[in-house]
Amino acid sequence: MNPEKFWNPYVAGVVLGLVLLSSFLVMGKGLGASGGVNRVAVCAVDAVASDHVDDNTYMARLKTDGRPLLDSYFVFEILGVLLGGVVSAFAAGRLKGGVIRGPRIGISSRLAFALTGGVLMGVAARLARGCTSGQALTGGALLSAGSWVFMLAVFAGGYALAYFMRRQWT
Amino acid sequence: MIFPFESLGSADREVGLVVAVLIGFAFGFVLERAGFGRSTKLAAQFYLNDMTVFKVMFGAIVTAMLGLVVADGLGLADFQVIAESAASTTYMWPMLIGGLLLGAGFIISGYCPGTSIVGAASGNVDGLFTIVGVGLGSLLFSEVYPLIQGFYTSGDQGQMFLYQLLEIPPALLAGGVAVMAVGCFVGAEVVEKIYTRKMSGEEPQLVPVAPRRLVFATFGFATVLGLALLTVPVGARTQIKTEMCDACSVGRIDAEELARRMLDEPWKLLILDTRERSAYEEKRIPGSEHRALAELDSYGLAYSPGVKDLVLVDADGLGYAPPAAMKYPGRVLMLAGGFAAWKAFALEEPPMLTADASDEERAGFLFRASVHQKMTGSKAAPPPPAKATNFTAPKKKRGGGCDG
Repeated sequence: MNPEKFWNPYVAGVVLGLVLLSSFLVMGKGLGASGGVNRVAVCAVDAVASDHVDDNTYMARLKTDGRPLLDSYFVFEILGVLLGGVVSAFAAGRLKGGVIRGPRIGISSRLAFALTGGVLMGVAARLARGCTSGQALTGGALLSAGSWVFMLAVFAGGYALAYFMRRQWT
Repeated sequence: MIFPFESLGSADREVGLVVAVLIGFAFGFVLERAGFGRSTKLAAQFYLNDMTVFKVMFGAIVTAMLGLVVADGLGLADFQVIAESAASTTYMWPMLIGGLLLGAGFIISGYCPGTSIVGAASGNVDGLFTIVGVGLGSLLFSEVYPLIQGFYTSGDQGQMFLYQLLEIPPALLAGGVAVMAVGCFVGAEVVEKIYTRKMSGEEPQLVPVAPRRLVFATFGFATVLGLALLTVPVGARTQIKTEMCDACSVGRIDAEELARRMLDEPWKLLILDTRERSAYEEKRIPGSEHRALAELDSYGLAYSPGVKDLVLVDADGLGYAPPAAMKYPGRVLMLAGGFAAWKAFALEEPPMLTADASDEERAGFLFRASVHQKMTGSKAAPPPPAKATNFTAPKKKRGGGCDG
């Protein structure tokens, strides 16, 4: 079975915009990804070394509201993202295990790059108080000055390094 | 103003969390349909032969922005109120550096944090590795946080919006951004064709132009509508805002929430006390200013930037929002129960807990006691110790010396 085609990018953009708009109107919040992932990570640390979380200023403040670490809006939201991704991929006939990579790179190097890039983005998203979802998309639509600086910087950073990463992708 | 439904963050929090899953579901579904579960598709943005990332992202930004502008024009929502509740504070330097690093991480991993979740959801192991990396990276950030705290808070501009900098209404700027976006989209199509030929030597596939035209036309229509609604007289809009507010009674804050916000973010509050001057002079909420209701009109609330939340305090709570206050461009909150409620909460000693109080009651007591101490300078007694569970006395040894 051939997988379904991807949506026209302009149509996908408008639909994504309507999702963001509903989130603004119903919840008064935008979309997010890295914040929820951070909570899950801190929760994992909390399970093995609770004192360490309490001692760290940045992690401890997630606990100040007295609720369990996972009892948070954006944790539930990324759970939804995961479900939505699974359902969409399954319905389109794209749900199969594998490693997506360019023609010139091996599986283990590809996975090493995926992990390294992830670590870099984890640091970057905390520093910038959000990632492409929470900062660029959400703040961009609300015309926040810092979010637009962030968004332009993301593209600048990507293009600056693209030449050195070309063996991985092309 | 009807939206957003504030109760979803407080009283109906459980419903709010269900909504979170639904919104997330739609978010993940669309990202997957756009092709963002595949790192090669995302990375292609940076080699210019497939600009889907740019088109989807910028298209979504313009859609949400224009939608909010139109909702604001119709009096359904308030652009600035939502902007202030959903956008983060601008810290210029960490956001610039964070953006550059995130862009670098994007081209290295082939995903951004949100799309890595969708990648993993589609069964792609590289996506899973990227999520794990994002988790590890944010923990790494927490570990080095004490060292970089100075940089983390540098360039603090408060909440800063481009329409404030340019001093134009959001609707006008949104229209400008939409026009710019359409220009960029047309440019992106050209660039894509050139680089597809260059990289693969093949002619680019023809894509149907109908959806593109429809989307551009919708953007144009929404822009014009947003601008047209700007010309509706402010008086009429204020009227709508007042009626809506009275109808759905949004914009109340209770004494506990006020105390919490006064400790957390006092710079976001503008507290106006409308009681008799003598009562204000005798006792007042710290940081509040005195304004008689009759003076409110001449205070120029309509011309303030509206960045702070305006909190109105009366003796026993205002039953309605005064029309002068409704001209305030930001959020207007009335202190529920007025100064009497504040006095009962913050200035009187909290009632002592019984020993079987729940953890929640205990936390509430401690917060109230700390507020009481801050406001009055006198310290309340500590709560009774938590009840030890299942305590059984050790068994006495039987037998021995004198027993026999």
